[in-house]
Amino acid sequence: MTVSRREFLVISGVAGAGLALSSLGIDMGPVKAYAQELKKIDKMKSAKQSTTICPYCAVGCGLICSTDTKAKKIINIEGDPDHPINEGALCAKGASLFQTTSNNPDRLKKVLYRAPGSDKWQEKSWEWALGEIAKRVKATRDGNFIEKNAKGETVNRVEAIAHIGSAALDNEELWPLQAMMRALGLVYIEHQARI
Amino acid sequence: MSEGYSILVDTSKCTACRGCQIACKQWNGLPGTQTKNEGTYENPVDLSADTWKILRYSEGTVPSGAPFWYFFSEQCRHCLSPGCMAESEKGEIVQDEKTGAVIFTPKTKSLNYDATREGCPYDIPRQNPKTKELFKCTMCFDRITNNMIPACVKSCPTGAMVFGERPEILETAKARVQELSKKYPNAKAINPDEVRVIYIVTDDPKKYWKFAAGK
Amino acid sequence: MTNHWIDLKNSDCILIMGSNAAANHPISMKWVQKAKDNGGILISVDPRYTQTSTKADIYAPLRSGTDIPFLGGMIKYILDNEKYFKDYVVNYTNASFIVGSKFDFQDGLFAGYDPKTRSYDKTFWAFEREQDGRVKRDDTLQDARCVYQLLKKHYSRYTPELVSSITGTPVPDLLKVYEAYASTGTKDKAGTIMYAMGWTQHTVGVQNIRTMCMIQLLLGNMGIAGGGVNALRGEANVQGSTDQGLLFHILPGYLAYPRANQANMEAYLKAITPKTAEPMSANWPQNLPKYFVSLMKTFWGDKATKENDFGYGWLPKLDAGQNCSWLNLFDAMYEGSIKGFFAWGQNPACSGANAHKVRQALGKLDWLVNLNIFDNETGSFWKGPGIDPKKIKTEVFMLPCAASVEKEGSISNSGRWAQWRYKAVDASGMAKPDGDILVELFDKIRALYKKDGKFPEPILNLKWDYVDAKGHFDPHNVAKEINGYFLKDVKIGETEYKKGTPVPGFALLQADGSTSSGNWIYSQSYNAAGNNMARRKKDDPTGLGLYPEWSWAWPVNRRIIYNRASTDLNGQPWNPKRALLKWEEGKEVDGKKQPGKWVGDVPDGPWPPMSDTKAGRYPFIMKPDGLASIFGPGLADGPFPEHYEPLECPVPKNQMSNQFTNPTIKIFAGAMDKHLTCDPRFPFVGTTYRVTEHWQTGIMTRWQPWLIEAQPQMFVEMSEELAKLRGIKNGEKVKVSSVRGELEAVAIVTTRFRPFKIGDVTVHEVGMPWCFGWMTPKNGGESVNLLTPNVGDPNTMIPESKAFMVNVTKMEGGA
Repeated sequence: MTVSRREFLVISGVAGAGLALSSLGIDMGPVKAYAQELKKIDKMKSAKQSTTICPYCAVGCGLICSTDTKAKKIINIEGDPDHPINEGALCAKGASLFQTTSNNPDRLKKVLYRAPGSDKWQEKSWEWALGEIAKRVKATRDGNFIEKNAKGETVNRVEAIAHIGSAALDNEELWPLQAMMRALGLVYIEHQARI
Repeated sequence: MSEGYSILVDTSKCTACRGCQIACKQWNGLPGTQTKNEGTYENPVDLSADTWKILRYSEGTVPSGAPFWYFFSEQCRHCLSPGCMAESEKGEIVQDEKTGAVIFTPKTKSLNYDATREGCPYDIPRQNPKTKELFKCTMCFDRITNNMIPACVKSCPTGAMVFGERPEILETAKARVQELSKKYPNAKAINPDEVRVIYIVTDDPKKYWKFAAGK
Repeated sequence: MTNHWIDLKNSDCILIMGSNAAANHPISMKWVQKAKDNGGILISVDPRYTQTSTKADIYAPLRSGTDIPFLGGMIKYILDNEKYFKDYVVNYTNASFIVGSKFDFQDGLFAGYDPKTRSYDKTFWAFEREQDGRVKRDDTLQDARCVYQLLKKHYSRYTPELVSSITGTPVPDLLKVYEAYASTGTKDKAGTIMYAMGWTQHTVGVQNIRTMCMIQLLLGNMGIAGGGVNALRGEANVQGSTDQGLLFHILPGYLAYPRANQANMEAYLKAITPKTAEPMSANWPQNLPKYFVSLMKTFWGDKATKENDFGYGWLPKLDAGQNCSWLNLFDAMYEGSIKGFFAWGQNPACSGANAHKVRQALGKLDWLVNLNIFDNETGSFWKGPGIDPKKIKTEVFMLPCAASVEKEGSISNSGRWAQWRYKAVDASGMAKPDGDILVELFDKIRALYKKDGKFPEPILNLKWDYVDAKGHFDPHNVAKEINGYFLKDVKIGETEYKKGTPVPGFALLQADGSTSSGNWIYSQSYNAAGNNMARRKKDDPTGLGLYPEWSWAWPVNRRIIYNRASTDLNGQPWNPKRALLKWEEGKEVDGKKQPGKWVGDVPDGPWPPMSDTKAGRYPFIMKPDGLASIFGPGLADGPFPEHYEPLECPVPKNQMSNQFTNPTIKIFAGAMDKHLTCDPRFPFVGTTYRVTEHWQTGIMTRWQPWLIEAQPQMFVEMSEELAKLRGIKNGEKVKVSSVRGELEAVAIVTTRFRPFKIGDVTVHEVGMPWCFGWMTPKNGGESVNLLTPNVGDPNTMIPESKAFMVNVTKMEGGA
């Protein structure tokens, strides 16, 4: 997916149609030296652009991420002017999306485990954590499996494990997630729509 | 001959989403500062070297007893004759001929901060206490000279902020004030002949922000 | 949303009630402003004068929990002043239906109530039917038992004066709103409603919304551009997660979840598939068996066969009447019957009503798996305030996830647009996309069950091939499965479809196992034309802002649902200036008349309009009788909305009847399930909301310096009058408490909250945001859900977080 250079240009927020930017590409006079110190704008010119949709409310605004391909880091995120809903606009949260990326030092970056009675996290590997979770799922499921209800009807369900989540996931993640939970026999399956 | 650019801030369309306040930080890479709630949504409480754009909130009641809640997205006005430049003798502060943007260069460290701030009718300049350099809105000079509109304007959803060639903005402002006057007899554009960032208000500017129309 | 965001611009009158759209769906105001620029009127009804109110032409305050009286008064106004759209009401709604003689309403209770079970026998509300099964009608609307007359009788009690004495809204303000909104009951006007949790989070939540649906039907505002009933959903993909069935009571595509008394697929399909005797009703849900069998084929692949009931037996079954929704889930966890728990991208320690109970419940688990992009109060509950980690036996796994820009896939906005997102960069640190995590986890579980285990069939038979050549989760693969495939070579009509090709859309799904589709309403999203969700074309042929080639909307790219109701009986638009849909008669070719067709939005089915009494169909194709429900006999708490006070309220009596609170709500009675009404210790109404700068519990936004700078701390907003009463100054720290808990907050003393006059009593209301929690920032404050009650709407079990009772006091020792 690529966004044409045109799409990144001025579209929204301009008075009248077809505004010609009179200062484009001409001598900037006394401020030239200052302008050269602004590195970000130059980085933007060589950055990879990709579109995304805001992860907060359900208006579904479009944004453009600019990624420095050498550093493999997002350097800027702003509204997608071609998006018909927001036409480049963003609220405070959308405008701050940059701080959900790896630019935020507080992002969770490690797999953590907290043992019973412990007062601290331990760092673990994915392999270990998912293996241990799988074992617990199996033990809890098999130890609490309900084949028949009080009326003697077949139910084949597990009430001892519950799942909530999540409106933060993509549709393509949600489908297999519900399938997996139902294959395990869970019936306590809920998410944010209920709150 | 170009007359440069202007920004129209139509407070009657502002919803206080604060997209502009954050978009300014995002584009300019300015840090978030430590704040606390002081009995208002307004935060940070003032402009600073790290905050060039603030949404000012003000509230009260109109004579009928109904509440009002005004929003004023404060920033440098990019004056046609900038008061801040009175102190600048060696290019510390420059005014770009083409765009009309008023730019504080790193040389502002050597300026008299108090005098420069005093010179601004809208109380905009702020100093980095460590480096002594002065900061404020640049009109997104890097963007507007590269075919992009200012970050704050781009973020605005309702058309409360509009960027464009100055004559067009003046025309838009005039038409909007006329429209608003039907419902709000006090509607006006604030100092449109003196500034490039022109605010439209529907009530006494002082009710929005103490320096909305100048000190 | 029946409509979509851009369509707001087409409205002549926008009512924002139960929502502060300007703060919580800020970009919606772009289109609200466009409507205003075109001369449209904006109305804001809210207990507090909000950012939305500042832009409104009319603002009216109301006490939280009194929306039904407010809107019931509007119904009375519309009927008394004959503001309703008669052609629409008679032809497109059930206003003419005759209700059976067992139906009655006395002093707040409908017929059929059983106080022991706190539920209704809904057969008391059934329509009278002809011998052939069709509903009896009186199109003159004169029969005393027709819906119209019963409606008129029911709402005759909701006079402006009585409404005002319940809601606290001054009568002139009520009338201003009624007059402005009722003016849209003509064929050339459109009125719309934008609502959110301000309507759902009540013990009468569903009926709040139904009252508005009834108003929209009376005014002919459903199915038209600039109209509709628009729920402003609060999370980027809460629409999608509901569509994909991440709820106990539904499978993907809103198929009712199977129950234990439905012993086989036949019994299940019989129970969920509605029948109709009305020849002009399309009764689209008659196709549900096709969608269910296709779903089972996606679940189990080749393992689902006709012989094994397509794997129906592998789905776990709920008991008849069993409710596993959120409040019950945490009640079961608190009682100790739930041992293991996945909190996937969620923070219930702050988002759950009566959060103390939730936090206690977490400590009773054996194990907890929490997945998120930031640390949060749920994963770290064992080190929360007042909790001794040594005493918490729960094992906790905290798994780091990719952020939205670090993975690829689709999300569905409130307007039902499924939009594709692209990956910009790899995930941060060890973090992984949720898709990879769930695939790897299930692979591990499955490996264990290959050796042994209880009832392993569904685990081993689940089709589970959602990875690419490198073994990574592949969203395109899943998206295609959700769309569906032909599983055999089939010929439908004149067209042959090859095995392995995607189905074009749900109309071609089959009940014989020859097709698959993970979610029928998403069928067409990713077909032979490609990934329709990724489309970026901006043609707008109707000029109404439908953008039919931008992304893709369910169902079948229909941008406004029920759109056949936007036309008259001949299929011509009620309002030609906003022609959403138009029937064009076929031309004559070689002396033969070609079939006619609909032009505009994707119509609700291909049939001709209603004036064709043979081939024509009624517009509300998802209703068995084909007409929209002004009388709604399906809900738990009655066929007409009726006012009941919130479970916790400031008044000693319901002025509408002797039935104080909703008679069908479930009241939990455990040690932590406290509630109090009219108790002098908690004299003020409390309500909750969001701020623009934070999202939900703040789990993502409280970690962001720019946002926490702008909204750093828990606050409570109160009127100047209340502040004076309590000696509270603006900006000082105060204590807010309910019978369930207490917290500290900064007082915002404001003219935007005003005391309500309820009869001759002054009622104060205060409001708090729910985005804070103990973990971060330092001194940020706690979650308001420590105060909220765990009582829910009887239909949805969504908690009553919008109206409960609190106290506000100065902190000992001052600020």
